[in-house]
Amino acid sequence: MTAPAAEIRARGISKSFGGAVALRDVDVEFYPGEVHALMGMNGAGKSTLVRILSGAQNPDDGVLEIGGAAAGQMTARKARRLGIATVPQRRELVMTLTVAENIMLGDLPTRTSLVRWKAARRDARQALRDLGIDVDVDALAGDLTVAEQTMVEVAREVRRGGRVLILDEPTACLGAEAAAQIHALVRRLCESGVAVVFISHHIAEVLALADRITVLRDGRVVWAGLAKETDETDLVRSMVGRDVVSTRPPRISNKSGVGLRISDLADGRFIEDFTVEVRKGEVVAVLGPAGDAQSRLFDLLSGRRRPARGRLEVAGKGIPFGKVARSLAGGLRCVTGDRRRLGLIAELTVDENLMLAQDRLDRRRLHRRGRLARRAAPLRDDYRVVTLSPNPPVGLLSGGNQQKVLLAKWLGTAPVACLLEDPTNGVDIAAMADIHVLVDALAAGGVAVLLASSDADEVMRLADRVVVVRDGRTIAEYDIDRITRDELVAVALGGAIS
Amino acid sequence: MTTTLTAPVATRRRVLPRGFAHGGLLIVLVAIVVFASLRTDSFLSTNNILNVLRQVSVVAVIAAALTLLMTAGGMDFSMGGNVAVTTAVAAQMFAHGRSIWLTVLLSILLATVIGLVNGAVVTFTGVAPFVATLATATLLDGVALLVINGLSVSIDDQLSPLGIGKTFGLPNLLIVAIVVLAVTAFVMRYTTFGRDAFAIGGNEDVARLSGINVARDKLLLYGLAGALSGLAGIMLLARLGASSPGTGGLQLQLTAVAAVVIGGTSLAGGKGTVFGTVLGVLLLGVVANVLNLLQINSYYQQISVGAVLLIAAIANLLQRRRH
Repeated sequence: MTAPAAEIRARGISKSFGGAVALRDVDVEFYPGEVHALMGMNGAGKSTLVRILSGAQNPDDGVLEIGGAAAGQMTARKARRLGIATVPQRRELVMTLTVAENIMLGDLPTRTSLVRWKAARRDARQALRDLGIDVDVDALAGDLTVAEQTMVEVAREVRRGGRVLILDEPTACLGAEAAAQIHALVRRLCESGVAVVFISHHIAEVLALADRITVLRDGRVVWAGLAKETDETDLVRSMVGRDVVSTRPPRISNKSGVGLRISDLADGRFIEDFTVEVRKGEVVAVLGPAGDAQSRLFDLLSGRRRPARGRLEVAGKGIPFGKVARSLAGGLRCVTGDRRRLGLIAELTVDENLMLAQDRLDRRRLHRRGRLARRAAPLRDDYRVVTLSPNPPVGLLSGGNQQKVLLAKWLGTAPVACLLEDPTNGVDIAAMADIHVLVDALAAGGVAVLLASSDADEVMRLADRVVVVRDGRTIAEYDIDRITRDELVAVALGGAIS
Repeated sequence: MTTTLTAPVATRRRVLPRGFAHGGLLIVLVAIVVFASLRTDSFLSTNNILNVLRQVSVVAVIAAALTLLMTAGGMDFSMGGNVAVTTAVAAQMFAHGRSIWLTVLLSILLATVIGLVNGAVVTFTGVAPFVATLATATLLDGVALLVINGLSVSIDDQLSPLGIGKTFGLPNLLIVAIVVLAVTAFVMRYTTFGRDAFAIGGNEDVARLSGINVARDKLLLYGLAGALSGLAGIMLLARLGASSPGTGGLQLQLTAVAAVVIGGTSLAGGKGTVFGTVLGVLLLGVVANVLNLLQINSYYQQISVGAVLLIAAIANLLQRRRH
């Protein structure tokens, strides 16, 4: 690789909030045409670094050089003018406007202050075509898949003159196929000379995609170098500071009786004739496209939505669809993959969220704050929820801790069977290992676990059996020791198994 | 699991005193009181203070119900209209010689039914509460005029024990308001129904999935808003001694909404305290009274309510952003 001048050169960046040091003496450089992955656990300082690069915050100490010149005091607007664009984890599109309007937002071509729609659509289409993105400019942003929304946002930033693109976990919550689309886009961005800053918790993905990796831990750079100079074990050790052992425990095979049976489930759109049987103490993974079909499965089992037909049994007893209370009373717990929208109440405290379901199941009528804390304490311990202040609003916690609160809220309520939707969505590698152990314990306790995950490694780690779903139908079923990880990925991508 | 009881419960207490969240509001209230007592002789007189408290009692009862409802993400703009209908119906019943208890009971029952209808519309059709209750508000204002035929209907002194009577030196109206506020505060803090209101206001989907019967709770909340509107109507009738065109209605409603919002309850739901609402009610009541005592043109009073609301809303937002 020739050495072009760095787009951004950060030297000795330090930043602290109150007494807490977020970044100390961080050196990092981003080159055009390179994918530079930022890795680290939740709270390692990635977000602070991104906020500093994008001008949302200024460092306490250190120098930022952009395009070869010292940048001085930064603002978000100045960063954008200098060509630094951020695509945050939560999509920043106006969902009720078309793709074209979103791409041209704030820059609609006009003639005598009237919008020239033809030119707007042509320019938007050109912006998409330049990046090889196949999305209809007249579609509403809200109707696109998450991956498409991400790509539209990238196109908008590139069109606005972004030369450094910061992608914050662009593949979180995406299935293998959608993630592959994003990867292809990242490679095309590189070829056109953009410096890509790629943030991800998926080690395999980073090793396959990144040219250069910087690992942060406790606000320091603990490893920096070329991706080809490192491997998975080293990366994990750098991020966590120790080896993370997350291996399958031997499962005791006294799986007696059916815990959860779903038969002929159909909603007329995403799911057709879905059938699965999970024995008590067994973890069965549903592997298929993440997104619509997966969240629809959550809607149907939790009682949010009624299916067109189908039958649901928990421990041999039929559960009617469309009734949250009956589903809960029957011992079925559905843990959403969308904790922000369907899992937790951000304004309520950690303890209140932890006890939200249990207190209702207990039909508790009166609440006292001290007692609430005492009831929630064992859950906090068991699920290793870490908070800085005693009982903050749950929205202030890191993603990993929020996810643990979500799991504790549901799995602490004596489930008979449960649906786990992407249980390690957006959490760091240590939290992920913790959560995997929790799921092991759940199965060991005789709970029938249906796991809907789009992460092949997670499925290999947790599941006893895999059910492959395509076009909403169950098409195959494998015992986990009869299939390799690569075969699993191939199946998920729509290939056939030899 | 075995070490659970060693959790340091004591350290989980909040560090700041409870009133601190409303510190700004308290300071403004105290400042106005100090200003008023310096500029007028009569402000601090027992009579005037009791008068202010009697006047704010009606608004306080409505605002209490509204605090709970808004915390649950709801809104009822028809409470003032409901008050108007209640006073009109009660006044006509008195005029037709019905007994006090039957009148009070039937009026509050009617008001509760009106609230439940609001709740049913909002819960089962999904019409935005703002729109649905604004429609019923207009409708109820019309009904009230119809009931009293556009004329003032006097009830003589039939409700005067409530309207001007005192117990232990406190106006009975004030005692009713204090009881309502205290019960509402208890419900919001210590009962499942109250905690569920926060959950529903915070995220209705999550609340439903957590096993909270959201539809039932919302119906109850709107029913309660109706019932307390009815009570407020009886209180207003007792204080005024007559039901006239314009008694209750949108003006009363807006004062109550202003008090609740000034008190820091979020229009988006999920946040709210009765304590804040009490401060809001007092602030508006005191400002109106001071302007009266200073003999300032009554048109300015309306302007001042608007200005106080705007300033308080901005102050609340700034305070929230700082956290």
